[in-house]
Amino acid sequence: MQQAIPYKSWPLPCIDATSHRARSTTTLGHNGRGKDVLNIVSENAVIVLARKGCCMSHVVRRLLLTLGVNPAVHEIDEEDEAGVLNELGTICKGTESNKMVQLPAVFIGGRLFGGLDKVMATHISGDLIPVLKDAGALWL
Amino acid sequence: MFAIMPVFLTLLAKLIHVYFCFLPESKLSIALDINSTCAKVAFFIISKSMNSPTPHFVPSRLGIYEPIHQIGIWGENFKRNGNPNTSTSVIVEVDNKLENESETTSHEMLAPSNNYEQEASKPIDKIQRRLAQNREAARKSRLRKKAYVQQLENSRLKLIQLEQELQRARQQGLYMGGVLEGSHIGFSGTVNSGIAAFEMEYGRWVDVQHRQICELRTALNAHISDIELRILVESGMGHYFELFRMKSTVAKADVFYVISGVWKTSAERFFSWIGGFRPSELLKVLVPQLDPLTEQQILEVCNLKQSCQQAEDALSQGMEKLQETVSSTVAGGPVDEVSYIPQVATAMEKLEALVSFVNQADHLRQETLQQMSRILTTRQAARGLLALGEYFHRLRALSTLWATRPPEPSLP
Repeated sequence: MQQAIPYKSWPLPCIDATSHRARSTTTLGHNGRGKDVLNIVSENAVIVLARKGCCMSHVVRRLLLTLGVNPAVHEIDEEDEAGVLNELGTICKGTESNKMVQLPAVFIGGRLFGGLDKVMATHISGDLIPVLKDAGALWL
Repeated sequence: MFAIMPVFLTLLAKLIHVYFCFLPESKLSIALDINSTCAKVAFFIISKSMNSPTPHFVPSRLGIYEPIHQIGIWGENFKRNGNPNTSTSVIVEVDNKLENESETTSHEMLAPSNNYEQEASKPIDKIQRRLAQNREAARKSRLRKKAYVQQLENSRLKLIQLEQELQRARQQGLYMGGVLEGSHIGFSGTVNSGIAAFEMEYGRWVDVQHRQICELRTALNAHISDIELRILVESGMGHYFELFRMKSTVAKADVFYVISGVWKTSAERFFSWIGGFRPSELLKVLVPQLDPLTEQQILEVCNLKQSCQQAEDALSQGMEKLQETVSSTVAGGPVDEVSYIPQVATAMEKLEALVSFVNQADHLRQETLQQMSRILTTRQAARGLLALGEYFHRLRALSTLWATRPPEPSLP
């Protein structure tokens, strides 16, 4: 199995001190705004935005790990959720459907890819790995 | 029988004569009268027996018995009692009975004669009464039996109904046990109706499924055109997607109901994974039936198997995480405190994620089926659907067979 190389590590001043996880997980404090989210998204080849403690995000994470991708995971606090989603909505207005971004949301190559549904469907149809490769998240 | 009578009577007459010789003077006249009337009596009896043709005797059994019995009694009395007094009283009694003469003034004769009258008539009456009572008792007994059997039948029907209700209620009740008691009566009502609606729909779904399988089988054997076959394949696929929609609706009402698999048969439930079949298992069942596959197809099927497995694993791990989360939430907080409502309430929120899992699992199943239909030709897809439907049909048959297996002999 290929070695998972994080695309870019993201040093944040407010990294959780108790975090012992190898993968880069960022937690926005109360100062977090949509702009930061946008930055994070564009900085990572693959990033998963999710609520704290969401089990579905765990599913996405596990799946991507199985494929050899080490996704960045950005956990959003409950209070920030609305704001972040709004920002994401404005960002993604031009791309796909008009509906609100659902969490967990996966961004590949700086663009909104979709939710768990989309990831699963794409993976089953065999299109996920090419997409990940294109985004530079996977190396052969 | 009637031939004996004249013999009896002549004997009787002789005996009367003999006994009368010993009677006191005062009673002689009476005795003489009696003698004459006895002759009349004897004649009467014989005439009665002679005149009345045999058929007349048949219906009225008492009619037959009357004279015979009387004579029998005479005979008995003669045999038993050598007592002249009793014999005369017997004669007198007969006399009274047949001729309605009541001239005997002698108290001595009267008293015993009355007794004998009663005794003689008693047997007759007794017999009549006994027979009537028997008939009555038999009739009552039959009526009682009929009523009892009727009651038993009604009880049996009621019992069957109750058993069915209990079965249904138990299935529903088991999966409503999760709802906090007492506080969600209205909610329970909606849940119940959601479950009831689903059960009805699912029953219909299974019937339609069965019909589709038969259609596919006939179509494949008949070698119909690909276009027609395509229609069958599409409707078959659509039928599965319909099931996923139904499950999604009932999952919103009661997700535990869906996950428990209680709506499926027992053998199907054995293979249950997040409220349905495992897509990877599906492929294992399907692929052997699809030979021959092209090399390209084999490769694609292989990839599909792998992707399926990976997706399944990811979902399973997510489920485990959810279990851990709920468990730690419920167990959290000090146990010495009586109130556990905060923990339970938080756990409730977390359990809502279960609905997403069911939806994601069904989504995975749907995607797997669709990918298969993309890889395969129409004919292969039809064979695949047939194989899949037949597999579930056999699992259901297995469940039924299991349910009706003979009970194991109890070991000592």
